[in-house]
Amino acid sequence: MKKYQKFALSLIAILLVIAMAGCQAKTTENESDSAPSNEEETTQETFRIAVAAPITGDNSEYGIGFNNAVKQMADEWNANGGINGMMIEVVTYDDKNSPEEAVAVANKIVNDGITAVIGHFSSGVSMAAAPIYVENQVVEISPSASHPDYSSIGEYIFRNNTVISHEAKAALDIAVNDLGKKNIGIVSIKTDWGVSTAEIVTGLIEDMADQGVVLTAHEEVIEGSDDYRPAITKLDEAGTEVVISVGMYNLLAPLAIQYKEINPDIELVGFSNSYSQELLSLGGEAVEGVAFPVIFFSESDQENIKTFVDSYNELYGSKPSALTAQAYDSAGIIFTAVEQVGADDPAALRDAVAELTYAGVTGTTKFDENRDVQKDFTKVIVKDGEFVLMNEN
Amino acid sequence: MIVQQIFNGLTLGMSYALIAVGYSMVFGILRLVNFSHGAIYAFGANIVLLLVSLELGILPAILLGILFTGILGIVIDKLALEPLRKQNAASITSLITTIGISNIITNLLIAFLGSQKKSFPTLFPDGSITILNFQITYTQLGMFVVSLLLLVALMLIVNKTTLGLAMRASETNIKAAKLMGVNVNFVISFTFFLGGVSAAIAGALISSYYSMAYPNMGYMSGLKAFSAAVLGGIGSLPGAIIGGLTVGISESLAATFFGSEFRDSVAFVILIIVLLIRPRGFFGKKEIKKL
Repeated sequence: MKKYQKFALSLIAILLVIAMAGCQAKTTENESDSAPSNEEETTQETFRIAVAAPITGDNSEYGIGFNNAVKQMADEWNANGGINGMMIEVVTYDDKNSPEEAVAVANKIVNDGITAVIGHFSSGVSMAAAPIYVENQVVEISPSASHPDYSSIGEYIFRNNTVISHEAKAALDIAVNDLGKKNIGIVSIKTDWGVSTAEIVTGLIEDMADQGVVLTAHEEVIEGSDDYRPAITKLDEAGTEVVISVGMYNLLAPLAIQYKEINPDIELVGFSNSYSQELLSLGGEAVEGVAFPVIFFSESDQENIKTFVDSYNELYGSKPSALTAQAYDSAGIIFTAVEQVGADDPAALRDAVAELTYAGVTGTTKFDENRDVQKDFTKVIVKDGEFVLMNEN
Repeated sequence: MIVQQIFNGLTLGMSYALIAVGYSMVFGILRLVNFSHGAIYAFGANIVLLLVSLELGILPAILLGILFTGILGIVIDKLALEPLRKQNAASITSLITTIGISNIITNLLIAFLGSQKKSFPTLFPDGSITILNFQITYTQLGMFVVSLLLLVALMLIVNKTTLGLAMRASETNIKAAKLMGVNVNFVISFTFFLGGVSAAIAGALISSYYSMAYPNMGYMSGLKAFSAAVLGGIGSLPGAIIGGLTVGISESLAATFFGSEFRDSVAFVILIIVLLIRPRGFFGKKEIKKL
């Protein structure tokens, strides 16, 4: 009995010491955290904006694009004297497109005292991090989340991207009206976004049943797999004429290659997240004729778009995609809001973002009462290894 | 459709078989599951891609890539595993070391080459032949032929050469082989070299089949190939092929009947069933020392 008592007592003592040490560490952390932000408030030398996106991994092309775009916008503002004299600093965080990493990143951002985030990339990941931003009054603008539930997580959560239900309608419009096909197959990735988008597309197809539009088959695949042949065989056996690829370019490119091996006449329609150079370099000849709706087209003749595209190309050696352009505009929105109300009051910053109207390279952006935006779609098709506007038939 | 799906599965299975061969060879001699084999396979594919981008031409790039990957196998053995053998470390230590090596190789690939998927050139002409109503692409035909050639070559080396005799002797009883004058360390290094060679060939073939290569490609395929090797009897080369084909066909049929999202789980369900019911697999030897 005595041995047990000794052991129990020492265990409790150790736990107490650890608990106290932990509390000490927390308070010292809090103290050291508030010290620099006090300094920032008094001197206001830099405004820090965070970019939270996949810088490594399968979707790194998007994350790197976001980072480039936000840096480009920050440099443009800094060249003109910053925001009311305050220079802008872009701090990048890699969330590897994983919800767990995103939560860690969000906590880091909060701890680093940053009040505005451009990110994250995919809907599921953005939604994982969002509650932390809401709780800590950090404005999050995602240039790419399209899951319907994203922006309703909290008042600090904004979406500068189309809601997928509108984009799905546009994609289906391409398949049925522009390509003239009625037998539609769906290949979707098994993520939050993929599942809900596939549901929306299925529902829209059912609505079009009176036009003779029919869903031939729906195959769900794991994101990042390389082999889609069993799914393709199923779709082909069901008589599919056009495949709606609910995934990003890393689904669309191999899908196109593998499908055209067995059916060279198959048509493929994607979503705006397929609009990227990687689609062309991975897909090669197989992605000829692939079409998708976008809200930003880099070949546009508009003055501000041309300037943006040319300087992006000069800085980073490639043309920006739609999502990159949305990141660019999102940064511009934040900087404009800070110019209006300053960087001290997170609530005022949020209100300014919610109320302003911003003219950018993705059209005019104004957040509605759900903090979503309405955009018009352009139809793009791959022709001769390049993206061109689809002709309205 | 079933037959077409079985065909898809056969090709998929061939790709697993090619990787599984490496697992079996190393296990046969060292009684060690080399979990870094998946990463070596990814290394092989990415090195070939790198060499191709240096404009060396496809065939020289592949041959050089095979050589480099074989050397990587030897380096892994000399740097990490041989010191452990010298210390008579427990087998589980070497096992865990191979897992660590797998991480190192994969992350080095990501650090130097970037983690995005990159386009891999096609090795075989486009087009297909039709046998009895089923389309087989030239790429699939090429994969079958090359895999068979590789298997035959490996079996010839193991069964008909003196070095192969030394390998089989080391496999049977490594201490007795040493006493008989076999340079066991050389034999082991050569086994790793062969493992690397087969991994690189697998890497080049499979990457050309999917038209892309990327640093993480070894993870899933490596694990599934391990299941295939265990199913076929780890340590047996023909077993690796049979195991690979079985896993591939099962995966394809599972995708057909249950949906594509269940594909990955099939290989692991098979692994669990094999370990529960018949751990030595189809062709494995009776005594298996479980870690």
